[in-house]
Amino acid sequence: MNVVTRHRRLDAIWASERGFRGWFSTVNHTDLGRMFLVTSFFFFIIGGILAMLIRAQLATPDSAFAGPDIYNQIFTMHGTIMMFLFAIPAFEGLAIYLLPKILGTRDLAFPRLTAYGYWCYVFGGSMLLVAMLLGIAPDSGWFMYTPLSNAIYSPGINTDFWLIGITFVEISAIAAAAEICVSILKFRAPGMTLAKMPIFAWYALVTALMILTGFPPLILGSILLEVERAFGFPFFQVELGGDSLLWQHLFWLFGHPEVYIIFLPAAGIVSTVLPVMCRTTLIGYGWIVAAIVALAFLSFGLWVHHMFTTGIPHMGLAFFSAASTLVAVPTAVQLFAWIGTMWKGRPELHLPMLHIMGFFATFVIGGLTGVMVAMVPFNWQVHDTAFITAHLHYVLFGGFVFPVFAGIYYWLPHVSGRKRFFRLGEFAFWLIFVGFHVTFFAMHWVGLLGQRRRIDTYTPEDGWTLINLISSVGSFVLSIGIAMVLLDVILHVLSSRKIRRNPWQAGTLDWAMMTPPPSYNFASLPHVDSRHPLADNPALPVRLAQGHGYLGTPRADWRETLMVDAATGRPEAHVIYPANTRLPILMSAVTGIFFLGLLLKTYWMVPIGMVGVAGLALRWVWMLGRRDDLGAQHVGQGVILPHASATDRSPGWWGSLFLMFANATLFGCLLFGFAFLWTVAPGWPPLVRFEPSFIELGVGVAAALGTALALRVAMAAVRNARATLPALGIALTGAVVFGACCAVMLWRAPPPVDHAYAATLFVLGSYGLFHAVLIVLMTGHLIARVWQGYTSPARRSEFAVVSLWGDYVAVIGSLVLLVGHLSGLSL
Amino acid sequence: MKDLVRILIAPLVWLAAFSAVYGLHGVICGFAVDGTVFGLSLARVLLVTAYVLAILVQVVLLWALYQDRFSSASVFVNFVGRASGWVGVIAAVWTMLPAVLTTYCG
Ligand code: HEM
Ligand SMILES: [Cu+2]
Repeated sequence: MNVVTRHRRLDAIWASERGFRGWFSTVNHTDLGRMFLVTSFFFFIIGGILAMLIRAQLATPDSAFAGPDIYNQIFTMHGTIMMFLFAIPAFEGLAIYLLPKILGTRDLAFPRLTAYGYWCYVFGGSMLLVAMLLGIAPDSGWFMYTPLSNAIYSPGINTDFWLIGITFVEISAIAAAAEICVSILKFRAPGMTLAKMPIFAWYALVTALMILTGFPPLILGSILLEVERAFGFPFFQVELGGDSLLWQHLFWLFGHPEVYIIFLPAAGIVSTVLPVMCRTTLIGYGWIVAAIVALAFLSFGLWVHHMFTTGIPHMGLAFFSAASTLVAVPTAVQLFAWIGTMWKGRPELHLPMLHIMGFFATFVIGGLTGVMVAMVPFNWQVHDTAFITAHLHYVLFGGFVFPVFAGIYYWLPHVSGRKRFFRLGEFAFWLIFVGFHVTFFAMHWVGLLGQRRRIDTYTPEDGWTLINLISSVGSFVLSIGIAMVLLDVILHVLSSRKIRRNPWQAGTLDWAMMTPPPSYNFASLPHVDSRHPLADNPALPVRLAQGHGYLGTPRADWRETLMVDAATGRPEAHVIYPANTRLPILMSAVTGIFFLGLLLKTYWMVPIGMVGVAGLALRWVWMLGRRDDLGAQHVGQGVILPHASATDRSPGWWGSLFLMFANATLFGCLLFGFAFLWTVAPGWPPLVRFEPSFIELGVGVAAALGTALALRVAMAAVRNARATLPALGIALTGAVVFGACCAVMLWRAPPPVDHAYAATLFVLGSYGLFHAVLIVLMTGHLIARVWQGYTSPARRSEFAVVSLWGDYVAVIGSLVLLVGHLSGLSL
Repeated sequence: MKDLVRILIAPLVWLAAFSAVYGLHGVICGFAVDGTVFGLSLARVLLVTAYVLAILVQVVLLWALYQDRFSSASVFVNFVGRASGWVGVIAAVWTMLPAVLTTYCG
């Protein structure tokens, strides 16, 4: 088979539908990555326009440009859009586009999930846009503090848009994060050990793990606050045993890691692009990996530094102040590695390098003001002033936007296969750089003079007039610069000068393919034995196109790839991806019905949405089944591998593992909330308690454990080709009994509107019940599979997945019932 | 997977210990724990004990990460694992130092 025939065959198998219809059915990571990026930049522009409105309002004293009500919406939506609808999705888009290419494989682990996440993002983001167009956008600030955001002080629908829309968008973040983890660990080119992974993959892996740990607290907080607003469960209401500080804890447990979730991928771009710009390799690879791991963990021990003015005892303040200073160290390690890299190489001042220099200058200043505000006494002085706003923009704009622009200019030729034509970008860079520093340096200054953040106006007597005007002028220069970047990108796409392959002479695999990239990435998969495979072997792209790697011969209409051992990169299993489908967009639309029902308080829509999602999810997994054994396959290079469904560690198992990790964080936060209220909130212990029953407790725990055990027995049975239905029947019964025990707990508990205690019990019980239903559905699915002849020892992987969930439910189920019943004992 | 554990374990344990000590401090202040042991305040004794324990655990982990028995076949993984082991020790000593130094409730 020659190169052109191979290309045609592969493209026929992998391509998305032509034209705009392809947008709705594509599951291809290149398409979806580009769609993510374009959408996130659309939101960046909206957020930027809102920023201009803010600066227009603040340019002069006594401004009548927008009233306080509208102004509140403007800054809330600016912050919300930039954080949730621009920064995180831009990372997801880049990771989705780039990871399979830089890891030397053909797609991410779960192509349909990529599409589902994208559509959840689009639908959730649209909700917020609609709210803004109707003038009923959220207006309580991007961190939605209670009691301001509760039903008493924010009665309208504004806050609900935030809580529900953002939760909808978070689904896409969790989906992308789980997928990124599995893809990096299991879907790499053969031979790529952990030590040979491109550095960007480490950054993406750590970031994704942080999303899985960091987002659940916010999702939980949003659920609790929405339930409080809609049904009056008093989680955050002090009069009824709640505590508004609980919201702050949950929010910042998410919020602080969030800024590192934004910064790390940007640093990943720097670590990838900088060495290429300096014609050398990255210094201190191992140090950098250790630094980002340290950064990830430390960043989860800082959240209270946002709460220094809430009256927390001194020792608490000191813990978090100390941790906040420490986090500067791993950041410095990276900086020194970058400086060393520049020292070692021969820096060339191409446009990406210019933006990296902008990043250095800006981010270092942001880091220094960060250490300043980590000091409690200084923090008390500048809390809630424009100094904080200035600091956060130095970190976010300096630490994210500059590197992202560097990345855009670096990978633009990859996406388009074209050369930059005009020199607009350089000019734009200087406008952005100067405009940014004028805007936000001035804001430090006016903040120190006492200007508070989030004020809609001030008087001439305050003495801030000139500084604010300077800041606003700077911001308009900045926005002209950003507009010019966009123009530059558009001109780039329209201009027609094709590039030769690998214009930057980079050493990573993303450049070892045609540009723009073909639908299947690599005609055959490389075997990797260095960190810079392309630099070591410039002939690699041609060899791969000729089919000398793995899977070089297209078979049937299979979208084939390989799964490898996480540590060593040894090929482990043969994977066939699902093809184009509209199922993801359909499922996220139905998910939208669920959220819309909550938002509009049309509660009959909610169960429809839930049943719809469950039904579509079953269809989703059902489609992957086969009725015949595939047998081991030749994958090239003399390697023969089993199909992934003949193993106990299929992609689905790994995906479940990471999903469960996020789920467990959510559950842990719920328990934390319970303990927090019990120890800190006034009005505890509650007067009316749940009446414990050791029979219900015993039966429920036994049922949960029995379910897990029965599922394990079923897993062993299918592996040895024995009958599985008896064990599955027992598992099903166990799950039903366990669910019944949770339901009885909900039934017998005191009314949840009376006290935060009962409200928390209600959430705990519902959590248990939800998981019982999940196990019933999964076990039911297995029974149907067995019935229809879809299982055999070589088609057994789903049993391991369900068994994993069974184990999880045994643990959380026992905890739910234990905590519930024991909390009723008065000692 | 084991290699990932080698890399993540030390800072993970730090995070758990840090949260636990902060939680202990919360409980002490929330339930107004007073009383004395050996003439020292019970609250202080509890906090300092927790602090010392947290450091000890980190030191043991670091020691284990240097043992052949727990090492990986990959030089790189060993390097990163030990580096994050050091991060754990330093973070434990530094971030929980206030347990010895500052007043606890107020
Ligand atoms: C495009 C240039 C930008 C300008 C001129 C700008 C300007 C501003 C200003 C003036 C405020 C303060 C509003 C007030 O306190 O009344 C603000 C708030 C904020 N900005 Fe930006 N910003 C820009 C980009 C960004 C980016 C890229 C991000 C994040 C990735 C971001 C995140 C935030 C956040 C989180 C807030 C706080 C909102 C709140 O207080 O609820 N901004 N911005
Ligand atoms: Cu923070």
